[in-house]
Amino acid sequence: MIELRNVTKVYPGQHAPVVVLDQINATFSANESVGILGRNGAGKSTLLRILGGAELPDAGKIIREGRVSWPIGFAGGFSPSLSGEENCRFVARVYHADVDHVVSFAREFADIGQHFRMPTRTYSSGMRARLGFGLSMAIDFDVYLVDEVTAVGDTKFQERCRQAFEARREHSSMIMVSHSIETIRDYCSKCAVMDQGQLYFFDSIDEAQARYEAVS
Amino acid sequence: MNALIGLQTQITVIHALVLRETRTRFGENQLGYVWAFFEPIGVIVTFYLALSYSGRTGASGMDLVTFLATGLLTYELIFSTSERASEAIHGNRALLYYPQVHRLDLVFARALLEGATLVSVFTIIMLADMIYTRNFTIDDPLGVLLGLLAASLLGTGLGMVFCMLGVVTTFVDRIRGTLLRPLFWLSGVFYTADELPTELRRAALWNPILNIIEIVRGAWSSEYVARDASPTYVVGWILAVFMLGLLLEQLVRRKVEVA
Repeated sequence: MIELRNVTKVYPGQHAPVVVLDQINATFSANESVGILGRNGAGKSTLLRILGGAELPDAGKIIREGRVSWPIGFAGGFSPSLSGEENCRFVARVYHADVDHVVSFAREFADIGQHFRMPTRTYSSGMRARLGFGLSMAIDFDVYLVDEVTAVGDTKFQERCRQAFEARREHSSMIMVSHSIETIRDYCSKCAVMDQGQLYFFDSIDEAQARYEAVS
Repeated sequence: MNALIGLQTQITVIHALVLRETRTRFGENQLGYVWAFFEPIGVIVTFYLALSYSGRTGASGMDLVTFLATGLLTYELIFSTSERASEAIHGNRALLYYPQVHRLDLVFARALLEGATLVSVFTIIMLADMIYTRNFTIDDPLGVLLGLLAASLLGTGLGMVFCMLGVVTTFVDRIRGTLLRPLFWLSGVFYTADELPTELRRAALWNPILNIIEIVRGAWSSEYVARDASPTYVVGWILAVFMLGLLLEQLVRRKVEVA
């Protein structure tokens, strides 16, 4: 469960400050996966970073119950000069997880061959996302924060992601940012639309879709 | 109990960060770490040759290697710890994706690694010198350790201040080098406080780095007495920069951008 209370985040813009999150109040309950739709720059990734605790809001409070993952996606989280394997070791240590188990699980899941032992700076963004996804699946989280990552890789990899989540559906949920309504439909039962610093929740994905199309 | 778990997490995180820093800092091969030792040793050898060529044999009862190592490495312990630590957030932004990695952990991990490396270098050089000169006495070993610890802590505190300022402005980063560089000549690396005329000595001792170098030299050598250096003054500086650093961290923590 993650609860946001009056969460506000402002970034210094080029001309004037940009209010990315404007006093958001929301609850993401356990065992309910939520998709988040929004235009580019609507603040979806910022929201994920704040949900995960990577960045702090300027005002307001975030209450988390259970283990929340870092935002899994194309950006961030890996030291470019370290190999995929070394990055996995670091993350496993930080999360008090069994290092060998995490490394072998992530290697198999990411399935990037010998690149696993090469510096992540040589990775394509797709490879980084595959590794990030595999790594996060190796550590048991109650809530997975996912940033567009399921659009990664071939159908075989996407199928692997789907199965991994299916296996975790019992005790884990997901908060997923995506442009693709189809992906959200696949994974989530609820949907929210981000617009003008606000988050609007919808019980059906069709309603969310209508709203999303109206604002974009 | 919560504080205890928090502390344990921080220790785990700093440990993981130090291991990681060791890899990124010293590169993919084992030679990288060897290089980390040779660099300061090379600096000492260079100055040794230059000074002994110009006729200097040491100072105030210390042989030239002792004099140089206590001066140069103590200075380096402060300066390069501060340099490394001040880049800690900038160079590790990606790691803040993991919420248990605290901004200060990045600073402390870098400072720890730098401190451990330079203290090892110090130990190796001094051991070699002791074997060469067959003089195995250290006047006050605990005093030497405390002096080096003070150097490392002062560097950490300064680095913390610069690092937090660096979150909100690039100005400090640009003037930092210019600001600190003259200290190399003002901190007693190539002279002892004893050798300065009284008036100048009084002014020079406002510099905490000179105080720390004096303390280390006085503790190492039974011949040299650091009459005017004040441990209390040094502790005061360390507390002040740490408090300022922690305060700045509170002020800028919401401004740290992860990506």
